[in-house]
Amino acid sequence: MFSWGYFLQQSMNGIILGCIYALLALGMTVVYGILRLINFAHGSLITVGAFFVYFIFFRAGLSLPASVFLVLGFGGLMGLVLDTIAYRKLRGGPEVALLITSLGFYTFVENFMKMVVSPQPYAFKTPPYLSIMYKTQFLTFRSIDVFIIVSSIIIMLIFHLFVKKSKMGIAMRAVAENLEIARLMGIEVNRVISLTFVLGSAIAAFTGFLWGAKYGQISYDMGFLTGVKAFVAVVVGGVGSIPGAMLGGFVLGLAEILSIAFLPTRFAEYRDGIVFAILIVVLLLRPAGIMGVKEEVRV
Amino acid sequence: MLKVEGLTVKYGVIPAVVNVSLEVREGQIVTLLGANGAGKTTTLKAVMGVLRPAVGKIFYRGQDITSLSPSLRVRLGIALVPEGRGIFNRLTVEENLLLGAYSRSSREEIVKDLEEIYLLFPRLAERRKQIAGTLSGGEQQMLALGRGLMARPQLMLLDEPSLGLAPLVVRELYTLIEKIRDQGVTILLVEQSALVALGIADYAYVLESGNVKLFGESEVLKSLDEVKRVYLGG
Amino acid sequence: MKRPELAFVWGGILLFLGVFLASQFLNRYLIHILVLIGIYSIATVSLNLTNGYAGLFSLGHAAFMAIGAYASTLLTFPLPLREAYELPKLPWFLGGPDFVWPFFPALCMGGALASFAALLIGAPVLRLRGHYLSVASLGFVVIVTTLAKTMKGITRGPMGISAIPLYTNIYWTYLWLFITVYVIWRIVHSRFGRAIMALREDETAAQVLGVYPMKYKLFSFVVGAFFAGVAGGLYAHFTKAIRPLEFSFFLTFQIVVMLILGGMGTTAGPIVGVVSLLTLRYALKPLEEHLKIYGMIELIYAVLLIVVMLWKPEGIVGRSPGKKKRPTRVLEGGGSHG
Repeated sequence: MFSWGYFLQQSMNGIILGCIYALLALGMTVVYGILRLINFAHGSLITVGAFFVYFIFFRAGLSLPASVFLVLGFGGLMGLVLDTIAYRKLRGGPEVALLITSLGFYTFVENFMKMVVSPQPYAFKTPPYLSIMYKTQFLTFRSIDVFIIVSSIIIMLIFHLFVKKSKMGIAMRAVAENLEIARLMGIEVNRVISLTFVLGSAIAAFTGFLWGAKYGQISYDMGFLTGVKAFVAVVVGGVGSIPGAMLGGFVLGLAEILSIAFLPTRFAEYRDGIVFAILIVVLLLRPAGIMGVKEEVRV
Repeated sequence: MLKVEGLTVKYGVIPAVVNVSLEVREGQIVTLLGANGAGKTTTLKAVMGVLRPAVGKIFYRGQDITSLSPSLRVRLGIALVPEGRGIFNRLTVEENLLLGAYSRSSREEIVKDLEEIYLLFPRLAERRKQIAGTLSGGEQQMLALGRGLMARPQLMLLDEPSLGLAPLVVRELYTLIEKIRDQGVTILLVEQSALVALGIADYAYVLESGNVKLFGESEVLKSLDEVKRVYLGG
Repeated sequence: MKRPELAFVWGGILLFLGVFLASQFLNRYLIHILVLIGIYSIATVSLNLTNGYAGLFSLGHAAFMAIGAYASTLLTFPLPLREAYELPKLPWFLGGPDFVWPFFPALCMGGALASFAALLIGAPVLRLRGHYLSVASLGFVVIVTTLAKTMKGITRGPMGISAIPLYTNIYWTYLWLFITVYVIWRIVHSRFGRAIMALREDETAAQVLGVYPMKYKLFSFVVGAFFAGVAGGLYAHFTKAIRPLEFSFFLTFQIVVMLILGGMGTTAGPIVGVVSLLTLRYALKPLEEHLKIYGMIELIYAVLLIVVMLWKPEGIVGRSPGKKKRPTRVLEGGGSHG
């Protein structure tokens, strides 16, 4: 029945999934903060990033650091392209137009991937040095787990410092709070928005790689629910708050893993349902999320 | 220094400002008066480049800036201190000030100017790490002014700085505005309360429903019966 | 009788005649497509109330269709087959174990249950500004399909229910389409309709005028769900088999694309969208099967959606909105929230 060892083990799994959600939520929350856009296309970056690494790392045999570097660049480029060819044109129009377009983009990428890489899932073999097993008294883990946690913490720290301290980061928060006044300050608003897309997308593509390396399987539709769940993490943590997004990611990851770990096995299939049930409960009880401030109505 | 010629700005099909021309000379304080909805703020926004005029031209130091983006205008030395203070409530005082200097690149100069602003507004110095949304109304207006100054503007556009402030605070504020002028910054001041504005301005324009109704030296305007009756409550 | 009502009477008569002629002279394949067009039209017209007129962006239509499909199926499923299919007998409050519902009330019941679900999901979410509804309703689709997969005693799990009696025909379908169009037209052209459109344009201003947003939003969401449920029921009794998989996000996506392509917030738009996209689908289907590139049609749908959003956001039928009462902003390519 209940044992601390099992609890600890599952908590670690939850934290690892939480890392993934948190990284995705970062990109979603900054975009939502500025454009009020639930960027469904964010999820497609997970898929694309995972397959990108699959091809350059496993097929072309590039080194791991090079692959990581390239996937970040590739994701960033995708974000830039998306923003430049589509979202920029729609800014200033109804917010829902952005939402619909991002939905279109997601579906486009998913079906494109389905056609190009086939509807079958691919096995994503973790390289040997990332699958070394460690056994301690309480925990069993692989080196990939350490890799995910460490790299996530690094990315979150860099992102946090960037947003808090750098000129661009301050500008980003200014644009999120009031676009028009930010423009008065001489901030090139479009450049700031592009940058948020680039950063968020780069991180999302990298997350796709983490996902593949951890769970060993990638498929053309892997990004959809993961992306939407990342937005749930944003809402749970508090929309517009960067620490909130990270916290929401961890809360969601833990809740998802622990609920299936401790509920009878026949509930395992409810896994995705549980996440959205959490969303609805949070919206019902605390719509501003754990760390969020009440959303100001923009007139 | 600034010359607006035949400016017309429309909101959709509805004109907010029609054929407005005005001039601001270097080193002066020029005030733009008028009731609510007369088109004062619209004029300022057009000068700043946030609104695009339907007709008309805007010259700054002899250069036609009508088609330049706001960020380029900031670089040229124009700064707008928006109405309702328009500070970033969720950012700290210091971050607000730094954003004022967004278009400048020299780190040292920015730090130096920051210290100067803190000398000018000691209360901001005490609260530099505080979230701007928690400041009092007067302090927020100081912050907005200070942020405007951080751009090292040669021309500052002030939109209703006295709005919602207690009379004592307004007096303090206007002393500061004069101080800023004495440092060589030209000021275009939009005000609803004509009395205070005419007190420090060299020249004044009165807008009514989007048109320039009167203009002239402040001293002259102050003595006009019409201005007295309508705008000075006399 | 007022003129528009008269138009509906004439329209109804013409529609009936058309349907009659179609059922007499067209082959079965074409009638099959016509019925699907009708069912999709009901779904799209009802989505138009929520997403087009009320300006809420729901992605939950597949879930409401699933509820309607499963509920009506369970009510009409023939008694002798229930045991073989391990489907439950009806409880006493639904008529008892020996009772089987006729088609029409079963469809209505399916719609009503979908409405009830919409009420539960809408009440917490619609209070919030922004597009939380999109995510929450999408989440609801996931929850409903998960339940359909796991509640094996009622839904038979992932394999779904087959041998559903074939009740849906072209008459039923177009009768319901007629009802849907009429009801939604009536709603939109009432005081209520003006209120929801005022809300869509400017929530704050509408509130000042005394329009209480929550009530209106919830009502349009609930009515939309009802007809989605009916569409689901018609679908189940037409294809004779339903599986949880069919009611996934992509069903919603198709309906959304149909609506947007046709023109959100217009009367004819949704139907135009359905006709053009289903025609396209059936025209391309042989090609897709021949080339074995599955996903091609979805890809085309996605491209169409993006193209429409970027270059003709008002859709085929919609008129381009006049210039907004906003000053032309200097957009460095982009605008701002006012």
